[in-house]
Amino acid sequence: MSLRNILLAVAALGLIGAGPEPQSGLAVAAADQKAFQAYFHDHFPKLPTADFGNGPYAVNAEMRKQWEEIMQFPPYDFALDEGKTEFETKFANGKSYADCFANGGIGVRQTYPRFDATTGEVVTLDLAINRCREANGEKPLAYQTGMMASITAYMAETSRDKPFDITIPDDPRAIAAYEAGKKYFYTRRGQLNFSCASCHVVAAGQRMRGDILAPAMGILAAFPIYRSDWGSMGTIDRRFTSCSSQMRSEPLKPQDSAYRNLEYFLSYMSNGVPITGPGTRP
Amino acid sequence: MKRLFLVATLLAFSTAAHAATSADAQAALASAEKVEAQAAGFGNRWVPAEAALKAARDAIAKQNWDEALVQANTARALAQRAVEQSQEQETLWRDAIIR
Repeated sequence: MSLRNILLAVAALGLIGAGPEPQSGLAVAAADQKAFQAYFHDHFPKLPTADFGNGPYAVNAEMRKQWEEIMQFPPYDFALDEGKTEFETKFANGKSYADCFANGGIGVRQTYPRFDATTGEVVTLDLAINRCREANGEKPLAYQTGMMASITAYMAETSRDKPFDITIPDDPRAIAAYEAGKKYFYTRRGQLNFSCASCHVVAAGQRMRGDILAPAMGILAAFPIYRSDWGSMGTIDRRFTSCSSQMRSEPLKPQDSAYRNLEYFLSYMSNGVPITGPGTRP
Repeated sequence: MKRLFLVATLLAFSTAAHAATSADAQAALASAEKVEAQAAGFGNRWVPAEAALKAARDAIAKQNWDEALVQANTARALAQRAVEQSQEQETLWRDAIIR
């Protein structure tokens, strides 16, 4: 064998050994989103993207009929009024929520959660609201229900029909937060050995006792929600903590970084699904 | 045969008579808490494990050592399973990703 042939053989072996280029974190996230949305479109071929934000009502005709009747007098209306009043009321220092958000906080819900490059963490709308309050000398609100649900209800209502528009910046910390949320979503936990995906991917649209399980795609678009089971309004934190308990897993604290990362992942997976909040659920 | 029956009866009574002590209960609780801390490290404390831990602490407060021992051992077993579940899931979760 000539030296030239040996060199060619070595070069070819080197190329084989190199294998495909590893994907960047952002490319992986984009591929995840594409596969995620394709899965749900395959499973619910007649469902337009816009309807995924309506959860169980989008995938069960009987429930949809009941929902349409409920919506004659939406049970979250009182929260909308309360939230609007609070949003427009000035803090003791003369400033207001509008001073803390882009576009005065109107029509921005679909861009949350977002990655904050300054703090290196995911900031949800709820967390941003409390940071706004604290920056203006006000006490933070409780995260699961009450005024927090009312303010987010109002802000969501100003974003109705605007599609989720979550971005992941090219920052290793943002990609790590996305990956952590993804891991949380697919990891089984609790005595019942369920993951979020067990119900909202594998069994989406099916019954779990009396409930119809909402598809994971667009699942956060309707929040905050008035849930008949609760008899009151609840935020995403309330839903995450009650899901954890249902799996016999001790819930994390509201706005724990694990929950915020989960919200980041789920919202990014739902890009393109319009905001439908505030919503109502059985 | 008579002697064998007598020995068996005495053995049975001696076992039943061995009540848990404060030290037994405290040691079982400490052991359970240690495993539960591991589960917490994974963010995976099980609700029934926490309930059993609480029951064990309550029983200790009432100096009911037998009940405390049972509850602490239950908590430890549940916490151990939570840790195993989390360890398995460290790699298994990837199999569930929609691709």
